[in-house]
Amino acid sequence: MNTATYDPKLDQNRQPKLDFKSPRNLIWSALVLLAALLAWQTYGDLMNTFEKGILTGVTAGLIVLGVLWSRVQILLLAVAGMTYIAFWSYQLHGNDVKVQDQAFFLKFFVSSQTATMWMNVLFIFAMVAYFIALFKQSEFVGKVATFLVWSAVAFGLTGMMVRWRESYLINPDYGHIPLSSLYEVFILFVIVTSLIYLYYEQKMKTKALGGFVMLVVSAAVGFILWYTFDRHANVIQPLVPALKSYWMKIHVPANFIGYGAFSLAAMVGLAYLITDKLAEKNPNSPFVKAMPSLEKMDDLMYKSISLGFAFFTIATILGAMWAAEAWGGYWSWDPKETWALIVWLNYAAWLHVRMTKGWRGRPLAWWALVGLIVTTFAFLGVNMFLSGLHSYGTL
Amino acid sequence: MSETTQAIDSPQKIAKNPKKSQNPQSRRSIVEFLGSMNLAVTLLVMLAIASVIGTVLKQDQAVQDYIIKFGPFWAEVFRDLGLFHVYGAAWFILVLLFLLVSTATCVTRNTPGFLKEMKQYSENLSINAIKHQPLTTEFDLAMPQPQAVQKIGETLTAYGYKFKQKVHQDGTLVFAGLKGQWNRLGYLLTHISIIIICIGALFDSNLLLKYRELTGQLAPETRPIPLNQIPKKSWVGKDNFSFRGSINIPEGQSADVLFLPYEEGFLVQKLPFKIKVKDFRIEFYDTGMPKSFESDIVLTAPELDKPIEKTISVNHPLIYKNYAIYQSSFGDGGTKLKIKVYPLLSPKVNPIEINTAVDQVEPLKTPVGTFKAEFNDFKLFNVVPASEEEKKKTGKKMHNNGPTIIFKVRDEQGQAWEYENYMQPTLQEGRWFYMTGVRTVPSEPFRYLFIPADEHKSKQRFFEFLALLNNPQQVEKILRKAFPKSDKISEKDYNLQIKLMQQLVTLFRQKGFDGITDFVQKNVPKDQQKKVSDFYFGQTSLALQTLYFEFLKQKGRVKPEDTDINDFDKKWFEDALAAINNINHYGPPMYFELESFKQIQSTGLQITKSPGKNIVYFGSALLVLGVFFLFYVRLRRVWVALIPETEETTHVIMAAKDNKNLPETETEFALLAEQIKHTK
Ligand code: HEM
Repeated sequence: MNTATYDPKLDQNRQPKLDFKSPRNLIWSALVLLAALLAWQTYGDLMNTFEKGILTGVTAGLIVLGVLWSRVQILLLAVAGMTYIAFWSYQLHGNDVKVQDQAFFLKFFVSSQTATMWMNVLFIFAMVAYFIALFKQSEFVGKVATFLVWSAVAFGLTGMMVRWRESYLINPDYGHIPLSSLYEVFILFVIVTSLIYLYYEQKMKTKALGGFVMLVVSAAVGFILWYTFDRHANVIQPLVPALKSYWMKIHVPANFIGYGAFSLAAMVGLAYLITDKLAEKNPNSPFVKAMPSLEKMDDLMYKSISLGFAFFTIATILGAMWAAEAWGGYWSWDPKETWALIVWLNYAAWLHVRMTKGWRGRPLAWWALVGLIVTTFAFLGVNMFLSGLHSYGTL
Repeated sequence: MSETTQAIDSPQKIAKNPKKSQNPQSRRSIVEFLGSMNLAVTLLVMLAIASVIGTVLKQDQAVQDYIIKFGPFWAEVFRDLGLFHVYGAAWFILVLLFLLVSTATCVTRNTPGFLKEMKQYSENLSINAIKHQPLTTEFDLAMPQPQAVQKIGETLTAYGYKFKQKVHQDGTLVFAGLKGQWNRLGYLLTHISIIIICIGALFDSNLLLKYRELTGQLAPETRPIPLNQIPKKSWVGKDNFSFRGSINIPEGQSADVLFLPYEEGFLVQKLPFKIKVKDFRIEFYDTGMPKSFESDIVLTAPELDKPIEKTISVNHPLIYKNYAIYQSSFGDGGTKLKIKVYPLLSPKVNPIEINTAVDQVEPLKTPVGTFKAEFNDFKLFNVVPASEEEKKKTGKKMHNNGPTIIFKVRDEQGQAWEYENYMQPTLQEGRWFYMTGVRTVPSEPFRYLFIPADEHKSKQRFFEFLALLNNPQQVEKILRKAFPKSDKISEKDYNLQIKLMQQLVTLFRQKGFDGITDFVQKNVPKDQQKKVSDFYFGQTSLALQTLYFEFLKQKGRVKPEDTDINDFDKKWFEDALAAINNINHYGPPMYFELESFKQIQSTGLQITKSPGKNIVYFGSALLVLGVFFLFYVRLRRVWVALIPETEETTHVIMAAKDNKNLPETETEFALLAEQIKHTK
């Protein structure tokens, strides 16, 4: 590979190389392996073959992800640390779930309830900070905003891990990964959307878009807050028999990468439309100057929808396979399934007009924005207005 | 063909079969139309809209429900449009077929070009054509051409390009580099996979049944009738190659048929095997939600030496040959019930005993008319949130109220009352009650009557006291004994007074306290109503108390010398009066007591034969693979022309083209150019 002419210094902007041999990445890989072994040893009895397979896949995936994107290493170490404190604190108090209201760390930081609340608050702060950074042109505030999103994600992931544990502490019968109720998947949604955004922010230098993306995240946070305080949806409920399956652990996350990416695309579309409008009036206004170029936003929209489409395809197929196992048919035209198909067809059409008709810019931005309505209906509206086999997460 | 899918020198043009161009114009334009993007996007959108209708409009409901909702006219129109069974409607299938044809046409038309494009390096491009590519740059390199050729070849390889070289007559050497051909394969995989998935889905659709229905060989059954009365025309044999249906099998019984929902009715599918349900088990969480349910089933078939025994549960089906047997639901399989019917208007407590079962209908001949009792359901558990005090006492969040029966009583006119009767008493404010709920409209909640339990936790005292109130002679006798005639009033007045009390008791029994108020309002002049009403209520409660006191004496609860009754009996009296006060809203005068039961559950199985499933899965795998190739692999071409200038310098012309117009393309090209410029 190394030839006389090949100058790696010129090569920094190329696709990231998977360099597993740097000391940092070696340590990272070792740590992930260690954590996986620990999990295997502690909870292996609770897992079936498929779940052990999933654990193996997740281990490999985390190693690769960490090497590809080094900031994830720091994130996950923080999550692991906070989760450890929570588990340890529960252990110290006899694994009684009620101590979350008394034990210091649990009460103020890392019980699932508190960690989720921290996440909610930090996301709102992040949105405000992004907008301040945008309008005041402050690089420092921009950095703070990004840090706030990372912290929110760390708290959110910790909240999920601890909630997983808490479900077993309440009653071993209840134990399940927190991906089953509308409340739980909303938390997943804000985390995934933010992570996808953070990736592109770092890669494409699009800090100015942060506030717009945090709009949809904050809307979801608003829903979580309402759902918690008005409906007490945060209470951990046992699973209905159909949901007791390893499929849930892969189908749901794949779906939410899709939803997250589509939401991100919609928010970029919104930013595009605003910038486009203002640029028409005054191409030299400070706002237009501060925003990424229209081409960049258009490109980000495309990348994000591609990512979403790929994962949504996988998720829908996994869902069909699960349905075949649980309900006896891979496709039943159940409202949730059907709406997944509608979402999928919608973005397939979007991609086609872009690829083959060469559409760009404004119409696609509008379409991405309307796509969010379709996606939201599939995600939330179906549970609210239509009944069917999927009606686990009814409001 | 759009410009983005064309390679530089239009492989399509080359690929075009010369014979084709001689085809008549119309033939070509049909193909053009079928393979066009506009048609594809239109079909995608149509499919999406049809799906929206299918989810917003509840599918496969009874015709009557639609008529109620939309009125007879629109219900008819919607029905003719197939909107009540969108996914089986002819036009929906047609859209799917068109999509299939359209995608197939598109793939057929594009495949030769794309395959060519994957292999083609376009090394024959002239210098002029290279200069007209979207991205170009020129510079001089300070080395002789042969050396430059070697070094640049290495650089291109390092950047992942495969290349071909072409030497022109004037000594110019052109590298034609190519990478990411898999992108084109991505197109093929995704679009072929759509075709494969559609074909698999067609295998699993009910096209065969549709065909038979159209040709009059098959007619769905819509009436709820026993299996042996279903006409042959509604049966489907083993030759049906795909189906999905369900069957309820009570414990201990077996079945070899399946019910397939079909339009407004159903079909009966004969199975090539028999399934016996040995046992059904269900477990509950402490919230009363089902935690798991499973059935022990035995499958026998002529071709099997030994029956297959397996326990199936949700998410764990039994696969036999190309049949899959799933646990999908559960219900009552005809629990045996021993019921005592207490007449509520009789002067004696003499309940009728009936032995029946869930899903049976019992005729009841009574002095107040003929009724039918339909036993609809039996529930072993009724778990409700525990009261605050109970939570403190037991630490449990949930409370089980025990078994219930759900049944309807229908009179000769067809009016029905639905009941929910608990078998065991429940504790309310420290006292035990037997709850019985009644309603006449299914969508309304039950209204409950609370029958107070006596010291033995039984309803016996209540029915005895009620029988006493139902017996005017007995009431009069007791009242006469309790209020002997004094000398102060005449015989006639005394008789009137006793009669009044007795009649007030009867009125209360029949219509409750409201009955007395009504009576006063109808029969007494307005200015005297209050006085009379006070007097009547006084007399009624005096009479009731007296009757109750006597009643307790007869039962030995009150000693002859006692002047008062204990607190329990006092409370019981109040509760009993409250219950009797409401009994006139309880429907036909009968109370059904569940004396004992033997639970028989039934398991709901779903059985499918879906030969298209693996085809669909195969297509899905191709789809995922293809999508990743399409999105994450870019077909990139680069040309580097090395023109020898002097012994020591070479002139370089570089150009690049990417099948996607992305910002990266430019930066990557700049980077590669920079790299080549710095070749040493
Ligand atoms: C349900 C049906 C279809 C689905 C799900 C589908 C899906 C896709 C996807 C995901 C892409 C990739 C877009 C991108 O690279 O960003 C694509 C590209 C394309 N599709 Fe389809 N497609 C379908 C039907 C059709 C039909 C009927 C045609 C023919 C008119 C067609 C022609 C194309 C073409 C020409 C491309 C561009 C390929 C390229 O240049 O990279 N597709 N399709």
